[in-house]
Amino acid sequence: MLEIGSLVDGKYKILNQVGHGGMSVVYLAMNEKANKQWAIKEVRKDGVKDFEVVKQSLVAETDMLKKLSHPNLPSIIDVIEDDDRFLIVMDYIQGNSLSKALEEYGAQPQEEVIHWAKQLCDVLGYLHSRVPPIIYRDMKPANIMLKPDGNVTLIDFGTAREFKEKNLADTTCLGTMGYAAPEQFGGMGQTDARTDIYCLGATLYHLVTGMNPCEPPYEIRPIREINPSLSGGLERIILKCTQRNPNDRYQNTAELMYALEHYDEIDDLYRRKQKRKLTAFISSLVLMFAGISVSGWGYYSAEQKQSENYDNILKEAEDYNDYYNAIVTDPRRTEAYDQLNDALVSDNVLTREEGEVLLKLLTGIDQNNSKGYSEHYEVIENLRQSNAEGYMDICYRIGESFLFYYDVAEEQDRYAYAAMWFQNAGEKYPISELYCDISECLSLIDQYNGAKIKQTDKMYEEYEKLWNMIQELYEKSSEFDDLDSKLQVWNEINQMMDTKVSPLLEITSKEELTGLLNQISADAGQVEKSIVETDIQLLQDNIDKTIKRIESAKEGDA
Amino acid sequence: MNYLIAADTDIGITKTTNQDSLSVKILQTQQGRMVFAILCDGMGGLEKGEVASASLVRAFDEWVRNSLPSLCNLPLEDAVIRAEWEHIIQTQNASIQLYGEKSGVTLGTTAVVMLLTSSRYYLLNVGDSRAYVIGEAVKQLTKDQTLVEREMELGNITKEQALSDPRRSVLLQCVGANPAVYPDLFFGDVQPDMVYMLCSDGFRHEITEEEIYGQLAPQMVCDEYSMKQNIRRLIEWNKERQEKDNISVIVVRTF
Repeated sequence: MLEIGSLVDGKYKILNQVGHGGMSVVYLAMNEKANKQWAIKEVRKDGVKDFEVVKQSLVAETDMLKKLSHPNLPSIIDVIEDDDRFLIVMDYIQGNSLSKALEEYGAQPQEEVIHWAKQLCDVLGYLHSRVPPIIYRDMKPANIMLKPDGNVTLIDFGTAREFKEKNLADTTCLGTMGYAAPEQFGGMGQTDARTDIYCLGATLYHLVTGMNPCEPPYEIRPIREINPSLSGGLERIILKCTQRNPNDRYQNTAELMYALEHYDEIDDLYRRKQKRKLTAFISSLVLMFAGISVSGWGYYSAEQKQSENYDNILKEAEDYNDYYNAIVTDPRRTEAYDQLNDALVSDNVLTREEGEVLLKLLTGIDQNNSKGYSEHYEVIENLRQSNAEGYMDICYRIGESFLFYYDVAEEQDRYAYAAMWFQNAGEKYPISELYCDISECLSLIDQYNGAKIKQTDKMYEEYEKLWNMIQELYEKSSEFDDLDSKLQVWNEINQMMDTKVSPLLEITSKEELTGLLNQISADAGQVEKSIVETDIQLLQDNIDKTIKRIESAKEGDA
Repeated sequence: MNYLIAADTDIGITKTTNQDSLSVKILQTQQGRMVFAILCDGMGGLEKGEVASASLVRAFDEWVRNSLPSLCNLPLEDAVIRAEWEHIIQTQNASIQLYGEKSGVTLGTTAVVMLLTSSRYYLLNVGDSRAYVIGEAVKQLTKDQTLVEREMELGNITKEQALSDPRRSVLLQCVGANPAVYPDLFFGDVQPDMVYMLCSDGFRHEITEEEIYGQLAPQMVCDEYSMKQNIRRLIEWNKERQEKDNISVIVVRTF
């Protein structure tokens, strides 16, 4: 034990004891000549069973650590050995450990955690890239110091590797051994860089949820089950880090770092659906409160009962009949419509049969009532009267489903069905009026085209309108804030032009057509969301094909 | 109901300290005779493991002395025992943890606690110490809170793999190591002419259930002297077979 106030090695004055572990004590010391504070870690002979063995490995370990230099690691500047103790002089890190932060404040803010995660990933990458690679093996909040400037430092590095291997001869408690990866228990393969990735994943899980994976239920659940406001991207990252099989995890820190830097983009794919859920939730809340304030307690409990039934049916919904059931239970709420729609297009295809399920909402559902008799429910009409806002939301979204996913050969069918829905959503979603106009235009073109006496002039008139609307659609697409819809519309424009190259060339020039397509291609190229990179690439390839077709058609004409 | 009791503990062949603690006693209450037994397997760096196990045994002994008599004024209820015992475990968990933090070691203990009345048994378990009932056969009453037990439940490993799994001494729970601890409780009816046994993991690794049955079947232990003899024999067998842990066991025979 070093005495407070004593001088070590002629220059370090021991100021205070700042921490202790099982076999070591950490002191704050001051180099009085240089007027700088250091931390001194003391490994005592009487604290360790085989001190000589420990000392040997400590010497080797500290020699190696002395060569390390990284902003998120404390540097070791001196090692002092004598007969009955071993002193390691290193940077004094101000601040508290993250385990302390967890203890005091519980779950940590997501942005902070991701900020730390990147730094920790960087340190691990640095360690793994040493020759030979250094595997840290003991990532946990207690070993991460949060400095006053908001950055983190990985500590507890002076311990020899021997002690990092989980000693399993004696009974140990899961809670005391950190977030050991499955392979750290031995018998399941070597520990390597992916072991550190597992422990980092477990650490992030603990930090962001406040739940210790070493406590019941001893599992790493999707983080949004614990806190739905957390990021879906982070959820996937944590789940991937903590796979049982090392081969299923990120294979190195570079992969993990890439994911951390783009975690919000992994969300993007889901954002649209999430947004839907949120609006649906809010509108149902509004409804519920309206019910309470208007009709008082008695009505409220009936309302409550109905809403419980509704929720239960929805939660267990398996096929469209269940969704119908929920809709009939309370046609004024939008969730069931929404979820039915989502479920039908979840595979990105709306087949003819699936389309019929949606169209039935317009004509009304026949369900057995409580007495067992079949009854006709005009659900969508009911929704329109009681919840105009929600009605327009639903109409717009179902319209989108038909427009983007309806899988039938006739393009005007797609538009016609979409228009049936869009026409009711115009007030809230101006773009749906445009879709309706396009639909009308397409069906007129079809009529003129199919007529026995071709009305070519009128048809080209319609094409002219269509071309204007396509351009308008492109302009409107820039107002969309979510990437998914934007890409959908761009694809739509390209597809429409691709199938109508020759009539469009009759009413406008090659330059205008290719100009618009190039513009879209350039817009798509500027999107920096790497996660939809393949989608963008596909769009650009398709646009190139259309442009080639336009150019060759022109040549043919000339 | 009448009871015979016996208990023994052994430091084993390799350890320098015996970190197991136990206590067993017959009580005379308003509701007739009862048996209270507790067995704790301590663990921790250096010489601190027994601190945890002993302090838990003391805490429960205190409860038997101070709280149980007044609880016996009314019929005992499962929920009451559960609440009381969980409270003791939580309090002890916090204080053992505090002690560990102060002295810079991590320590902890398992616990298996049993109360036998003339009609019912009450059991609490944290960790991998076990309670058995021996009648026609040897039957385990508690469920281990261990990693391999959980892996087995999840279907990740088989019972045979579990026996040789390198993680078999990793506990999910113990008193004193984590901020939170979640004990399991078990209740059931007490039968006459049965043997109830609590033991640490050191007692059961090297010997088989058949050997336990051979020595501790109800017809084999009809007085406290033979009970004592037979458990000593089982302990010696464990040591002959190179069991490295401390070895502890409590047996209670009803009649």
